[in-house]
Amino acid sequence: MKFKRGLLYAAFGLCLALVLGPILVIIGISFSPIDGFVFPTDGMSLRWYRAFLESDRLWGSFLFSFRVAITVAALSLILGTLAALTLARRSGGATSAMQALFVAPMVFPAIILGLAVLLFVRVLNAPLWSGLIIAHVLIGAPYCFRMVSGSMQAFDPILEEASQSLGAGPLRTFAYVIVPLIWPGMLAGALFAFIVSFGENNAALFLTAPGYSTMPIELLGFLQFPGNQLIVAAASTVQVGLIVLFILLMERLVGLARIVRSDQSR
Amino acid sequence: MNALASGFLLNWRRTARRSALLTLPLTVSITCFLLPLLFLLVVSFLEPSQVDLYGKQATFSNYGHVIGDEFYLKIIGRSLFATVIVLAISLVLAYPAAIVVARFTPKWRFRVLAILLFPLMVSNVVRAYGWIAILGRHGVANTVMLKVGFIDAPLPLLYTFSAVVVGLLTILLPYMIISIANSLAAIDRSYGEAAQSLGAGPWRAFWHVTLPLSSPGVASGCMIVFFLSLSAYVTISLLGGPRFKMLVSLVFDSTVAYQWPRASALSFILLLLGLGGGAAILAITRPGRVRGRSR
Repeated sequence: MKFKRGLLYAAFGLCLALVLGPILVIIGISFSPIDGFVFPTDGMSLRWYRAFLESDRLWGSFLFSFRVAITVAALSLILGTLAALTLARRSGGATSAMQALFVAPMVFPAIILGLAVLLFVRVLNAPLWSGLIIAHVLIGAPYCFRMVSGSMQAFDPILEEASQSLGAGPLRTFAYVIVPLIWPGMLAGALFAFIVSFGENNAALFLTAPGYSTMPIELLGFLQFPGNQLIVAAASTVQVGLIVLFILLMERLVGLARIVRSDQSR
Repeated sequence: MNALASGFLLNWRRTARRSALLTLPLTVSITCFLLPLLFLLVVSFLEPSQVDLYGKQATFSNYGHVIGDEFYLKIIGRSLFATVIVLAISLVLAYPAAIVVARFTPKWRFRVLAILLFPLMVSNVVRAYGWIAILGRHGVANTVMLKVGFIDAPLPLLYTFSAVVVGLLTILLPYMIISIANSLAAIDRSYGEAAQSLGAGPWRAFWHVTLPLSSPGVASGCMIVFFLSLSAYVTISLLGGPRFKMLVSLVFDSTVAYQWPRASALSFILLLLGLGGGAAILAITRPGRVRGRSR
């Protein structure tokens, strides 16, 4: 019995090492004072962070990614909330078909989504960055839909009826009754959409161009050529830090239990 | 009667108004997701063209080329092989890990699941780079092994099949663990106790009670892993190197070479393989056996 337990914990430990190991190594080497990795390390330095801030290509792409992600979060929030307001409390064939349609882009191979949107944008002669926004909104909106649906299911519909029977119109009911009840879900969904857009790199492959390139795509460019790569470690660590910050924010505002649960069946 | 009628009317009006809210998301999903995919399907049946993005003549040759070419078939075979290996290893590692996670108290379970969820938000590029930093010629593994005197010259660890498998596991294990752990945590403990009190040993109880009851989680985890490992282009190209090709690399290569009909056909072959794999996973795990639960 003890042996069996040991095996279970060994598998658990190995999984954690495989999943977290690469990220921890990057954080570690990003503080390297020299060009390469040495063992044991001698000292720490922030020179790669400075190089990151001074690199027009990387810092520029960081800012571009940030702008894209904010736009994507806002649009995803609108679309996801609209869909959730209607679908969260319904059931039936049409409802589940629509739910499947809204959630599908989440698990759809992102590179093929990117190709389809690229073709579409080219045929319509629309600018490439609009394709990037479209693809990321398609991937981000399901998170908002899921989170807001969860919030909708958590409160008693009688509250809405009470508000309406007391004479509030639909807009007032939405603003004074529904939003105060579902805002944690809305916020968590928007944060998720932001993070997903910020790190997405498979749909973005075809939908970026020089000057309109997201940070993951720029990092990919740096990695495909040999040479100095520690600047990538610094940029990556900044991204990881941003994500940790967002997760702490979500934990504060919504609670982890709900986030993990609504993400389970994706 | 009057109150009932007006209440009904109110309800009906609310439902109608609510449905109107759906117009926008539905329009976006149809025009920006379904239509482009449909268009991609159409392009996959059009002739390639030298001047335009695609020709006007309908043809099956885009699919014919792929299916008739040994080079393509070999790469498709390799993609399926890699995917099945990743699926097998992730199942073997994630199931025991999920058992550990499911046994934690709810508070700790959610903490651990959040720790597993966090890497999913980190860009695939970043996580692949982590493995480059570990496995590269001057990477962490080689440097440490040289220093300790374990090896005399750096080992070629990067740009190998194993590097790709390890990189894919890094991305996909969290999905598998989270989905199995959630379905294990939902199983009523008394079932296992009942099996044991009826004389089944722990293994038998696991095999006949716990494993079948966890099949919905296993099925959804396996399907996500199968689909994503077929299409994880960035991880495959960074860790496999420029000469290591999988089906998804061919999609990328033909897209950047402006061979759009070919790229479209390859995309649909990939999707078809994914759907076939999904159907096989459902047939093997049979999650439909588990009923009467919320999911």
